[in-house]
Amino acid sequence: MKVNVDKTLVASIALHVLVLGWGLVTFSSKAYVAPEESLPVDIISTDQLAKMMAGQKTGKKEEPKPKVEKIAEARPEEDAVGKVTEKKELIKTNSTPEPPPKPVEKPVEKKPEPPKPVAEAKPKEEPKPQEKKPDPAKEDPIAELQKKLETKKPPPKPVEQKVAAVQQQPKPKERTFDPAQIQRDLDKRAATRHELSGSALNASAALGAATGTAANNVATWRGAFVAKVKHCFTPTYNGQDADQYEADIDISMKIDGSLASEPIVVAVRGPSRSIAQAVAESAKRAIVQCQVYSFMPKQQYESWKLIPMTFGLKDML
Amino acid sequence: MNDARSMNRRRFMTLTGSTLAMLGGGRAFAQGQDGRLRIDPTAFQPIPIAITGFVPGSPSDGDVGNGVTQVITNNLKRSGLFAPIDQAAFIERISNIDVAPQFQNWKTINAQALVTGRMTRQPDGRLKAEFRLWDVVSGQQLTGQQYFTSPEYWRRIAHIISDQIYERMTGEKGYFDSRVVFVDETGPKERRVKRLAMMDQDGANVRYLTRGSDLVLTPRFSPNSQEITYMEFGQGDPKVYLFNIETGQREIVGNFPGMTFAPRFSPDGQRVIMSLQQGGNSNLFVMDLRSRSTTRLTDTPAIDTSPSYSPDGSRICFESDRGGRSQIYVMAAGGGQAQRISFSKDDTNASYSTPVWSPKGDYIAFTRQGGGQFAIGVMKPDGSGERLLTSGFHNEGPTFSPNGRVLMFFRDPGGNGGPSLYSVDISGRNELKVPTPGFASDPAWSPLLSSTSG
Repeated sequence: MKVNVDKTLVASIALHVLVLGWGLVTFSSKAYVAPEESLPVDIISTDQLAKMMAGQKTGKKEEPKPKVEKIAEARPEEDAVGKVTEKKELIKTNSTPEPPPKPVEKPVEKKPEPPKPVAEAKPKEEPKPQEKKPDPAKEDPIAELQKKLETKKPPPKPVEQKVAAVQQQPKPKERTFDPAQIQRDLDKRAATRHELSGSALNASAALGAATGTAANNVATWRGAFVAKVKHCFTPTYNGQDADQYEADIDISMKIDGSLASEPIVVAVRGPSRSIAQAVAESAKRAIVQCQVYSFMPKQQYESWKLIPMTFGLKDML
Repeated sequence: MNDARSMNRRRFMTLTGSTLAMLGGGRAFAQGQDGRLRIDPTAFQPIPIAITGFVPGSPSDGDVGNGVTQVITNNLKRSGLFAPIDQAAFIERISNIDVAPQFQNWKTINAQALVTGRMTRQPDGRLKAEFRLWDVVSGQQLTGQQYFTSPEYWRRIAHIISDQIYERMTGEKGYFDSRVVFVDETGPKERRVKRLAMMDQDGANVRYLTRGSDLVLTPRFSPNSQEITYMEFGQGDPKVYLFNIETGQREIVGNFPGMTFAPRFSPDGQRVIMSLQQGGNSNLFVMDLRSRSTTRLTDTPAIDTSPSYSPDGSRICFESDRGGRSQIYVMAAGGGQAQRISFSKDDTNASYSTPVWSPKGDYIAFTRQGGGQFAIGVMKPDGSGERLLTSGFHNEGPTFSPNGRVLMFFRDPGGNGGPSLYSVDISGRNELKVPTPGFASDPAWSPLLSSTSG
């Protein structure tokens, strides 16, 4: 029996496979990235980006680096910490106690009896009330259902929950879209606003760079940490066997983002012992010199209490 | 028929599905990583270092203290691996080097390392030099030494201290305590006087070794830095000479019946390898300096010249036009089959000459001529990894620093000017002019003086 193949069908299918396969490869490069808690990132405007890459008319062609008058801060640290802690509290309230998340009447009765929790549990809520995001959770129909199912809950925990709820309750009404306010809230640029900022100082005028690298646009603590340490890492060896040199270094951190102890050199590798040692020392200096890493998310402290790192010399030339 | 088509379709569907699954799977696998966070440097940056003025041990030692500080600063800066911080930025003034500095003051100005030192004239007339190298970040002393010397050798002490700092911070041997021999050129272009001259690696202490009555070319240091072999046009044929730096004596190497040229010492200093002209061709010969016996290494109807030993003495690289155009070949030190290693990727007409084996053994430096340009470059001894470091109207004659990290060569801009010496890192960064009194060509770097008995 002869198999009769329709050529147009074959061509059609082959083309589809090609196009789909290509699309899969091209567009899916980020599809399987393991989810990682992100850090707050400032969105920069086009003129800020332009400033990073800015050139001067007096610059020389052979000067490849953009002029930098001030070293750019990795992140506005204070804000990052503040925002992160705030989020953390909210996650807790949503997950740990199951109790009625929409206690419209209850809080009124209960609020007077625990005066202390008000002060200590939610002091951070007040400064930024309009940024509350989880409000929708309160109106969640599932929550209402839960409320119906569980009529009563252990009294101590609901207290802080209710306090939070009390404060949040009026918000949905006040909430108005005010772009000016958002812009004011987002505007944290004052510190580096008028300077050409970058990762390393460079006093000479330049014609500008093709890409902007001043702000290290990193969203995870890993990325932020690597970017900051990299900035201080100045190894000198560039022989043809440079990529064989590596130093494994363990860093123990304190919760405030400073080092708990001196970095520990676990192992060094490379053809020359003295060069490998110099790489390790250069790495240690970089780690110590670049602290404090205060942008590290405190609620994930367990994941960065001890940071095992490898310093290498790839792409040194 | 219809059935067949549906079968086909089904088969294609499965095929498509599995293809897509494979593609997707491949992406997922690429995510696998080990637990360590990896950091590689983005771009090369020099190490910021603070070099404080050497404290005078007595009021009369102020000048020599300043001189030493200046020489060290200049050495480290010219190496391109260090960025000495301007003394005007210093917060703390070091007045006693035996007390630990306030490291916070040095962290503030972003120094990673700090050098302190003291120069003291001893009652017996000698000079005592002390220095300490501090790791500013950890607050630890990395190294500290003291030296005694006659006062006129203060520059040498400064070079030795520079080498100590360089070696401790980079892990590589230094190269500052070394000399360069070169051909000094004076006078108008038509009547150039060429003299053999020698100077410190930084251009100081220039000494003239010959008077300039005869033309000299291609001087090379012996491994103990005590002798120089070079080619001189005297009466009759140009010959290879041996010159003793201490005594000023010179002698002809070997008793060859023709022109000898392009000499170079073997790594053990016992032999001199050179070219001997025979008719229109030239071949490589080696002469044992003790027994005075000569051995022929090549026998080809071509020009074989510019031989250079590998640091272990087992192989020789040289240039030869046996293939039609000048190219670089490598063969065993005893002669035999030679293998061509220079192959230009972008210019088949390019020719390669003046190969020099790095003292570290990892690279062979060369002059490449092609497209109307002379370039200086390096390649691995197997010919791979070719990298051009500089290119222009005329660049020639590379020579390696004792640690194999820097190349010196000469450049002639053309026109009425003359050649000058330049140095460049083997990465191609940090090209610098080397100060010389007049025009200069044919540089040859000595080994590290402190590592030899001399």
